[in-house]
Amino acid sequence: MTVASLLFILVRLSGSPAALLAGAGASQAQVRSAHVAYGLDGPILQQYVTFVTRALRLDFGQSPAHHAAAVELVRLRLPATVLLTAAAVAATALVAVSLGVWLGLRADRPEHGWAFRLLLTGQSLPALIVGLVLVQLLGLTPATGARSSLSFTLSALTLTWWLTPRAARLTAGTVAGALRQTWVLTAKAMGATSRDLLWGHVLPNALLAALALVGVQVAFLLSATVVVEWLFGWPGVGDLLAGSLRAMDFPVVEAAMFAIAFLVFATYAMVDLVVAAVDPRLRRRPTPP
Amino acid sequence: MTGPVLAHEMGLSRRLLPAPAIPTPGLLVGGMVGLLAVAVLGLVGAGIAQEHAAPAQRLLAPGAIGHPLGTDQLGRDVLARTLAGFRWSLVVVLPATLIAGLAGTGLGLAAAASWGWTRVILERATETAAGFPFLVLAAPIVALAGRGYWPLLIVLAILASAPFALAVFDTTWRGRGRTPVADALNALPTALPVVGAFIVADLVVTEACLSFLGVGAPEVAPSWGNMLADARQNVSAAPWILYAPAAALLLTVLSANWFGEGLGQLWRVKTR
Repeated sequence: MTVASLLFILVRLSGSPAALLAGAGASQAQVRSAHVAYGLDGPILQQYVTFVTRALRLDFGQSPAHHAAAVELVRLRLPATVLLTAAAVAATALVAVSLGVWLGLRADRPEHGWAFRLLLTGQSLPALIVGLVLVQLLGLTPATGARSSLSFTLSALTLTWWLTPRAARLTAGTVAGALRQTWVLTAKAMGATSRDLLWGHVLPNALLAALALVGVQVAFLLSATVVVEWLFGWPGVGDLLAGSLRAMDFPVVEAAMFAIAFLVFATYAMVDLVVAAVDPRLRRRPTPP
Repeated sequence: MTGPVLAHEMGLSRRLLPAPAIPTPGLLVGGMVGLLAVAVLGLVGAGIAQEHAAPAQRLLAPGAIGHPLGTDQLGRDVLARTLAGFRWSLVVVLPATLIAGLAGTGLGLAAAASWGWTRVILERATETAAGFPFLVLAAPIVALAGRGYWPLLIVLAILASAPFALAVFDTTWRGRGRTPVADALNALPTALPVVGAFIVADLVVTEACLSFLGVGAPEVAPSWGNMLADARQNVSAAPWILYAPAAALLLTVLSANWFGEGLGQLWRVKTR
C-alpha cells in the first residue's frame, strides 16, 4: 500500500503517466488503453484509488518488451530469488553461528580483537566488489554469462560473504554477553558442565539473536540480490528488475518492486512470529510448571 | 514491525552490533586517518592527473607511459578517473547525508515528542521506509527522474533520512528506555556522528551500485560505479580497470565504517 502510494506520486511527477505506465516502446494504442485503464481523465483522487486498487489486484499491465503480463513475468522469476536468498541465509547461519560461538567463547583473548577487526573489514566489502572480483578471477564475460549452477553458486557465495560478518559479530556478542550473565554462574554452581551450558542455554540465545538479525537484514540482502543477480545472470526478480530498469519497462519494474516489498515484509512477519514462538520470554501466557 | 526483541537487541540505529569484550582501539584512529586520506584525495585528486578520452589509447595495460594504471575502453586514464571519483562520491554523498541528517533528526524528534496516533503513524512510517530495500526503491526513482547529479542527490537524501529518523527516535524514546528527556537529548550529539558515518558508507556503496546498474551517475561522470560497469564489460580484455575503483571504494567504505564503529564504542563506554 505504501509502495503503491509512492509509485503513484512518482508516476504523476514524471509528466506523461500514460506513456510511462504502458512502458517504453509501447504503441499509440497501448498508451491510449493505459490512459483509459487507469482513468487518467478523472480527478486526481480517483486516479489514485484506481492506481492503488489495480496494484492490490496485482494488475500491473502488459510489458511491451516481453509481450506478457508483468505480474506473470515476475511470478516466474520469484522462486529463483527465494531459492537464492534461502540458500544464502542457510549458509550464513551455518558459517556465522559456528564462527560467532567460537569467537564468543574466546572473548577475553587477544585473538578476538584481530578476528573482530577482520570481520569489520569483511563487512565493509560491498557485495558488488566481491562479485566483480569473482567474475574477474573466473574470467566470466558478460556475453557468455555463467551456466546456471555456477551462477547460482557464485551468487549465493557472494551474498553469504556479505551477510556472514554481521551475523558472526552478533552471535559472538550474544555468546560473550550470555557468559557474563549471573544465570551462567548459577547454573555452574548447580553443577552444569560447560557443554550443557553451551548447548542448552547459550546457543539458543545466540541462534535467536542471529534469526532476529536476518530479519532486519533481509531488506539489505534483497538490495544486494538485485546487483548480484544482475552480475551473475541468475534469473531472479533482481535480474529482471535491473534489466527492466535499463529498458524503462515500467510495468515490470512496478511488479518487481511489489514482489520484493512482499518478500521483505513477509520475512519480517515470519521472523517476528518465529521469534515469538521460540523465545519463552515473549510468550504471553505463562507456561504451567 | 520488526518485533519487540529487536528494538533492544539492536540498540542504536540497529546497526551497532554488540561491542566486543575487549574494545578494539585503533579503529577510531584508523578510520580518521582513512577518512582524512579520502578527503584530501577528494580535494586535490582531480588535479593530480587529467582524464580525457583518447580513442588512440584504448585499453592500454598498466605501466604504459603516462598511464600507470592503464586506460579504459575510451582511452581514459584509469588512475585519473579513479581519483576524480573521490570528489564525485563526496560531492554526492556528503550533502545527501547532511540533508538526511537534518530531515531525519527533525522527523525522529517529532515522532518521539508526539503522542497517541501521531506517534504510532510516524513510527510505523519511518520503520517501513527504513526497512525497505534501499536500492530497490532508489533505482526506479532515479530511472524515472533521469540519470544525473541532482536526482541522485535528492533520492539518496530522502532515502537516508528514514534510518536517521529511526536512530534518533530509538535514542530519544526507546533506545535507552525511559530516560529523562534531557539525558536523551544529550545522547544525540554523540549518537548522530556514529549513524552519519554508517550512512556515508551505505550511500557510497548505493551510489556505486546505482551507477553500476546504469541508473545513477551520468555516463561521463567519474563515478566508481560507472568504472565498475566498464570493468564488467571489458573483463577479459582489460581486467585492470577493476582494481583501482574497487580499491578506492573499499578505502572509503572501510574508513567510514571503522570511524563509526570506533566512535560507537567510545559512546557505549560513556553511557555504560
